[in-house]
Amino acid sequence: MAAPQLLPLELIDKCIGSRIWVVMKSEKEFVGTLQGFDDYVNMVLKDVTEYETKGDTKHVTSLKQILLNGNNICMLVPGGQGPTVACS
Amino acid sequence: MADTAGALTVEEPLDLVRLSLDERIYVKLRGDRELRGRLHAYDQHLNMVLGDVEETITKVDVGDAAPAVRAVTRAVPMLFVRGDGVILVSPPSRT
Amino acid sequence: MSEQASKKTPTDFLNGILGQRVFVRLNSGIDYRGVLSCLDGYMNIALEQTEEYVDGELRNRYGDAFIRGNNVLYISAL
Repeated sequence: MAAPQLLPLELIDKCIGSRIWVVMKSEKEFVGTLQGFDDYVNMVLKDVTEYETKGDTKHVTSLKQILLNGNNICMLVPGGQGPTVACS
Repeated sequence: MADTAGALTVEEPLDLVRLSLDERIYVKLRGDRELRGRLHAYDQHLNMVLGDVEETITKVDVGDAAPAVRAVTRAVPMLFVRGDGVILVSPPSRT
Repeated sequence: MSEQASKKTPTDFLNGILGQRVFVRLNSGIDYRGVLSCLDGYMNIALEQTEEYVDGELRNRYGDAFIRGNNVLYISAL
């Protein structure tokens, strides 16, 4: 008996209330607590850190709560600590 | 219909554009282009027909010297704007 | 449904910030600050008392502004 397949969006649903790392198609990344999402994977995140790489310079922005447009999302990493850990 | 209330309130974003019909508007487009003209027609994609338009294109000259920004303007009597290039539309201020 | 109570869908979020001052960042990096008058399913946005920032510098003010949703990266409550 094969284990029932966990659909991709079911995995994301299990992340609600947890930290998540969002990698955009462009050189932008977000880390925040996932509060909810919809069929387009538009996401409501709280206690967000935005990471932006422009050439050699890195910009970091803190935001209390955002609605992130799902259109330009590339990858989601559950429980992700973000680029700070990965790069150090 | 409650004509006065229904016609003048903004319940969805496109109402802002509807209220600007036959008014002069400002349109910001991709590619550092800006338009100022009279809004004759629009649709749900934000395709628009503008009349008596002034188009401004901002270009950056990268030469030997420091990069210089210059704005080129030209007048167009009537034009169609494809909606997917639109970033922002600003109607004349409502009072 | 107690687990559902903490959920906040995009619709819940948007209903919560209508009429508030918001911060909108576009994919191009241009930022807008203004009062959110309304928005729709495409993330088209109508803002009042709008300020436009390019590279963090105030560039323009608009009484009303319509922002086409496909350009929006995120909306944040201020």
